[in-house]
Amino acid sequence: MAILATAGRDNGRRRTLQKRKSGFSFAVPALLLIILFFVTPVLGLLLRSVTEPELGLQNYAELIGSGTYMRIFANTFLVAGVVTALSVVIGYPVAWALVVMPRYWSQVVFAIIILSMWTNLLARTYAWMVLLQRTGVINKTLMGLGLIDTPLTLVNNLVGVTIGMTYIMLPFVILPLVGVIRSIDPAILRAGALCGANRLQCFTHILLPLSLPGVAAGALMVFVMALGYYVTPALLGGTANMMLAEMIAQFVQSLVNWGMGGAAAFVLLVVTLLLYAVLLRFFGASRIG
Amino acid sequence: MKKQLVATVFTALVGLSGSAMADEMVFTSWGGTTQDAQKTHWADSFTSKTKIAVIQDGPTDYGKIKAMVEAGSVTWDVVDVEGDYAVQAGKAGLLEPLDFSIIDKSRLDPRFVTDYSVGSFYYSFVIGCNKTAAGACPKTWADLFNTVKFPGKRAFYKWSAPGVIEAALLADGVAADKLYPLDLDRAFKKLDSIKADIVWWDGGAASQQLLASGEAPFGSFWNGRLTALAATGVTVETSWDQNITAADSLVVPKGAKNKKAAMKFIAHATADMQQSQFAMETGYAPTNLDASRLMDEAVRRTLPDMQAKSQVNADMNYWAVNRDEIGKRWYSWQAK
Repeated sequence: MAILATAGRDNGRRRTLQKRKSGFSFAVPALLLIILFFVTPVLGLLLRSVTEPELGLQNYAELIGSGTYMRIFANTFLVAGVVTALSVVIGYPVAWALVVMPRYWSQVVFAIIILSMWTNLLARTYAWMVLLQRTGVINKTLMGLGLIDTPLTLVNNLVGVTIGMTYIMLPFVILPLVGVIRSIDPAILRAGALCGANRLQCFTHILLPLSLPGVAAGALMVFVMALGYYVTPALLGGTANMMLAEMIAQFVQSLVNWGMGGAAAFVLLVVTLLLYAVLLRFFGASRIG
Repeated sequence: MKKQLVATVFTALVGLSGSAMADEMVFTSWGGTTQDAQKTHWADSFTSKTKIAVIQDGPTDYGKIKAMVEAGSVTWDVVDVEGDYAVQAGKAGLLEPLDFSIIDKSRLDPRFVTDYSVGSFYYSFVIGCNKTAAGACPKTWADLFNTVKFPGKRAFYKWSAPGVIEAALLADGVAADKLYPLDLDRAFKKLDSIKADIVWWDGGAASQQLLASGEAPFGSFWNGRLTALAATGVTVETSWDQNITAADSLVVPKGAKNKKAAMKFIAHATADMQQSQFAMETGYAPTNLDASRLMDEAVRRTLPDMQAKSQVNADMNYWAVNRDEIGKRWYSWQAK
């Protein structure tokens, strides 16, 4: 199994290299666009972070030296981690079901997932607010059923952010997973079962390892998106679990302190790139896609 | 003949585009019902009087103002900002000095006039209470900070701005005339005592939603939002005891493209008639001293300028100087 996987990876690499040579010129417009509208402003931001209010690394020193900012960093990673784990755990069975369902029903479920993605983010987040607040639908129902006496605090805290963000991130796990699971030859699973593997063994020894690239791709996408998420944590979270994007927005918009804002944004970018590099090392570019 | 026609059409087109450029300007404010009222009572009447079209934009964003001015490409001509920001930005060179040969400042409330800004409207932070949702209604800031006598969540303004720190100090027994310079240590200690019971609102609509749903049965609100909420049938009680006033200001970012139109717009928006109409609709007080005589007596009585007896004025100059430092401390306290 391991040998097979490695061989596959090498093949993949060779193919990507060939493609890269012949297809480079097609990528030039996109590259130019990225250099002009992403790389240049990011460099500008970096420059500000070491020049405002004066030349030096004092902004970075303040970021790293302050307990508050470090707590916001830690909280950002905590939220992103929890949301990623939950999205994978909830999304995996859905992706599997989408593959094995009759075609008609899988199209219906697909439509529901895509539609929810297309609905305005703010509208969806406000909807959660209405559902989760102390006087909201969920608390009223639970209290009406006599299951709880005092309303649960489901919003303005970590619980609210986790629920809201997991819901929004789910499609980003499900869609790549469906692609990967669909490409697995069912004959391999049948062969496994014929050789005496039970359902659980089929899953842990065949399906899961083969679909791992999909899991990794989805998880990475969700984790990186969650690190920089703004609207949902701002609306469903309390100030005590502020995330990095909110802090950057405060620096840039309210405090008009672009030196600190730039420093925070740059740290976030570096951490994200490092994570991506780690994943590349473990899975290889072609498999994460 | 044909040549002539082409020439005529060409001149007409140039003329059209030229006049279109000169005859429009951009007004930026905070959105919601407040900007709607500004559009109706200031911008629309300005356009019909001067034929200068007013394009609405928003929301106000101090980062954007700085970016536009630095890049030398300013697309906003008049911006509604918070009073303390106006003072600070004027000093930082981000604003055009106002042309007081066009804007008549003799009848404008001098509390809100600087070289770079005039008052847009002013409001009070008052204690609001949803009588249906609350057991009892807090009447003073001390009551609002008393979680034993008044258990439950209380709503406060989320951003670092004049209002909440003052309320905490007043609740802690600081005399209104001894508020400044603000004793931040004391204020944050007082805020610590109710921190777990605070729900933050980040804008007017959110504050109304919190109060109306009973999510927070009481709290500190902009007076105008309570008036609006009461008009929709929610049983709201407003306590004006030591209401804390702060003002919005109208400013012109440095390098604005339609400076002349901007000055005219500000002159129009701060005129007595426009100020009175805006105040009657929003429940915020006018900054033109002659506006109140144009207003319905019953409405007038609900405005902050009639509550002067127990009023506390937030010190915009103090805030302008200390805005950054308080802000940093405020947000790191919130994140704790």
